[in-house]
Amino acid sequence: MDMRRLNNMTKLATVAIATAAIVGLATSASAGDKRHVKIGTEGAYPPFNAIDSNGQLVGFDIDIAKALCDAANFECEFVVQDWDGIIPGLIAKKYDAIVASMSITDQRKEVVDFTEKYYQTPARFVAAKGAGFDISPDGLAGKVVGVQRATTHERFLRAKFPKAEVRTYATQDEANADLVSGRVDLVMADSVALLDGFLKTDPGKDFEFVGPGYNDPKIHGEGTGIAIRKGEDDLRQAFNAAIDKIRADGTYKKINAKYFDFDVYGPTS
Amino acid sequence: MLDFKGYEWVFWEGAKITLLVGLSAVPVALVLGLLGAWGKLAGNPIARAIAGIYTTIVRGVPELVLILLVYYGVTILLQQLLKLATGGDVTVDIDPFTAGTLTLGVIYGAFTTEVFRGAFLALDRGQTEAARAIGMSRTLAFRRVILPQVWRYALPGLGNVWLVLIKATALMSVVQLPELMRMADVAARAVRMPFTFYFGASIVYLLITIVSLQVLHRAEARANRGIRRA
Repeated sequence: MDMRRLNNMTKLATVAIATAAIVGLATSASAGDKRHVKIGTEGAYPPFNAIDSNGQLVGFDIDIAKALCDAANFECEFVVQDWDGIIPGLIAKKYDAIVASMSITDQRKEVVDFTEKYYQTPARFVAAKGAGFDISPDGLAGKVVGVQRATTHERFLRAKFPKAEVRTYATQDEANADLVSGRVDLVMADSVALLDGFLKTDPGKDFEFVGPGYNDPKIHGEGTGIAIRKGEDDLRQAFNAAIDKIRADGTYKKINAKYFDFDVYGPTS
Repeated sequence: MLDFKGYEWVFWEGAKITLLVGLSAVPVALVLGLLGAWGKLAGNPIARAIAGIYTTIVRGVPELVLILLVYYGVTILLQQLLKLATGGDVTVDIDPFTAGTLTLGVIYGAFTTEVFRGAFLALDRGQTEAARAIGMSRTLAFRRVILPQVWRYALPGLGNVWLVLIKATALMSVVQLPELMRMADVAARAVRMPFTFYFGASIVYLLITIVSLQVLHRAEARANRGIRRA
């Protein structure tokens, strides 16, 4: 094994262990002018947060978190944490904020507070390249659309495209497989799931996104936010202000363009 | 040959943490096991009650729950207590390695207790009596006569506890320890090759088991020296 990799990995292990380790007792009043903020993330949800083959944290969440820390004038440090313990870790103060593609849901709101959303990936249709469908409620009349059952996407299709023939599948992969074999004309799902799980793979090479991105708050939810311990409004407000700042100054756009060729922020409220 | 896409290091680094946590937990489990067995076999009713409560609770609650309780629960509890005591906001941090080692040690100490209890019971009472009769003190009798023989009876059971313990380290990922299973998961998700990486991880666990069995076999042979096989 080459040493660079070993060093990077050791670094990662030390980040994970040492960040939580050292401190012992520390009051939350920080010394110096920059506030020290620890960010918890999962490191296993590409392309949002993952660990690359050099052992470094990479991804959309990571770049956004770094940009937010710059905008808020925080000194930030990442703690890598398995998803199962990510909220308990926040509550036990192993870190101060979770930036890990966490959807804002009512259940989670009972135990943590959320900032405003920092992304909301739209739902999209995928069809064979050059199929030329007219993506409208009437244009899709009689067309067969594959979708994963019991998802927000199925609800959305039945509500907004009532004339299309909806065929439901247990997993998105099965729907994609039937699109390849021609049993369905289109599939609908989360755009990132489709991009990474299908379009970028070999079976998906002859297919493309068609039509616009869809985001209906009533059906698709509120998006993805940063989780903060309940009652820490200072930090939450600071992150909200930072999100507005990077949205306004073009930083967000740059990071968006690095990972996706469409707008992941979703509708502005 | 399997292609790990440049992520070969996850096995190496993961196995290192896995072995480190596992090996660090063993002394804790051994000490707790000896104390527990002593408590259960002692005439003292309080010691017996404590040992009984310990093994019942620990063997009855899933490992994952105990890990979460120790790492997060104890931290939150300490923070709340200090907040009450000082009035200020205090952050207490238990380092994940220490928490993981202690939790595993406490859990497997309960299983070790039963292994040692069985081993003590297997030992003929006459051994203690003979040692005392030739004038050995209680500690000397324990060290020279009892422990070496108890060790011999306990080794197969202890080996078993070790093999289970090393696999239980996989649960430590919930407390930020990047052990073997967690690292394999990280790499598997990054390159979307779950089977390749889980297969690789299972081979590493198997290797650890094979080496452990060799060591245990030698230790048993050594503990059995001077004993004629029936």
